[in-house]
Amino acid sequence: MLSTDTLALVYLATGFTVGFGHCIGMCGPIVVSFSLSLEKGSIYLPHSLYHAGRVLTYTILGGIMGATGSFTAVTAHMAGIQKGVFIFAGLLIVVMGLAMAGWLPSGKFFRDYYDPVGFISRGFKKLLNKATTPTFFPLGLLLGFLPCGPVYTALIGAARAGMEAPTPSDGILTGMGLMFAFGIGTVPALILVARLAGMKWLKNREIIYKCGAILMILVGFVFIIKAIRF
Amino acid sequence: MVRIQLINHFPMQVFPTFLLISFILCFSPAAIHANSSYRKLINCDLHDGACVQRVGDTDIILEVTPKPVRAMKDLVFSVTLSGKGESPKSIPYIDLGMPGMDMGPNRVKMKPVGENVFEGKGVIVKCPSGHRVWRATLTVPDMGKAEYIFDVIY
Repeated sequence: MLSTDTLALVYLATGFTVGFGHCIGMCGPIVVSFSLSLEKGSIYLPHSLYHAGRVLTYTILGGIMGATGSFTAVTAHMAGIQKGVFIFAGLLIVVMGLAMAGWLPSGKFFRDYYDPVGFISRGFKKLLNKATTPTFFPLGLLLGFLPCGPVYTALIGAARAGMEAPTPSDGILTGMGLMFAFGIGTVPALILVARLAGMKWLKNREIIYKCGAILMILVGFVFIIKAIRF
Repeated sequence: MVRIQLINHFPMQVFPTFLLISFILCFSPAAIHANSSYRKLINCDLHDGACVQRVGDTDIILEVTPKPVRAMKDLVFSVTLSGKGESPKSIPYIDLGMPGMDMGPNRVKMKPVGENVFEGKGVIVKCPSGHRVWRATLTVPDMGKAEYIFDVIY
C-alpha cells in the first residue's frame, strides 16, 4: 500500500490532469460566468476565494469519507443536497447571464416591487448586479457539492484510505488530506479558464459580451435539465 | 439599406437568434452522436449474466452483482479464469472508467476466493453528463488485459 504522502501526490496529480480534462467542462461555465460578471479589478481574489470554498468542501467531505469508510452510505444521504446544488448552479448561471445582458430589471424589481426580507433581497441584488468579492467564498463552499464523477472517484479513494487507516482519527486526517490535495490539483485549470474569460477585450466588445451572456443562459438551462435528470 | 437599418435597430434579435440556432444545430447532434457512438462500443451485458473475454488460451469471465448493475451502489466484481492457460502469478485487478471521459483512477482490488477465482468490491460512480457507458479494464499480470464495456443503470 502506498504511503499517505505518496497518495497525496497521486491525488494532486490526478486533480491536475482531471482539471484540464474534465473540470473545465463541468465547472468551466461557472467560473466563466463569474469572470464575465466581475466588472472591474483583478479576478484572482474572487476566484481564489471561490476555489478556497470549493476545496474546503472537498476536504470536509474527505474527512467524512475517511471517518465512515463508506462512500455509498454518505453519498446516498447527500444525493438530495447535490441535486439541489446542481439546479441552483444552473439557475445562478441563467440569472447572471440575464443580468449581464441587461434583460433582468433586478434593481427595480427588488427595490420597487418586492422586498420581503431585506437581507435576502440585498444579497441577491448584489449578486445580480455585480459579483462582490466576499460572495465567492460561500459560493465555492456550496458549489463544492456539485455532483462530479472525478470527485466521486477521489472520495471513493478517500473512503478506502480511511478504512485502511489504523485509527478513526487517522482515517479522518487521511481522507481530508487526500481530498485537499485533489482539490488543489483542480485549481490551475479553472484559474486559467477564468483568466481567459476575464480578458478586458472580451468585456469591452459589447457584442461579444452579449453573446457570452446568451451562451451563459443556454448553458445554465442545460445545467438545469441535467440536474433534473440526474 | 433597409436590412442594415433593421440590423442596427435590432442587433439583439439577430445575433442571439443566429447563435441559438447555431448552438442547437452544432451542439445537439454532436452530443447525441457522442452518446450513441459510445453505446456502439458496448460488448457486454452485465445485467443479464456474466461476460467473457479471451486472452491467449484463457477465458476470463467477469460477473458483477447485485443485478441490475447500478451506479453509486456497492458492487461485487467476480473474475474467473478458465482454459489451458497457466494460473496468474499475481492477483488481477480492475480499473473502472468511462470511454472518452477521464474520471480519475478507480481500481477494484481483488483477492483470491478459490482456484482461479477472484473477487473485489467497488463502486461505479454516476456521471452528471448522463452518459451510462462504462469500461472495466481487467488486468491479469503476466497474461494480458481484457476490456468489458457495458452500460449501467443510474
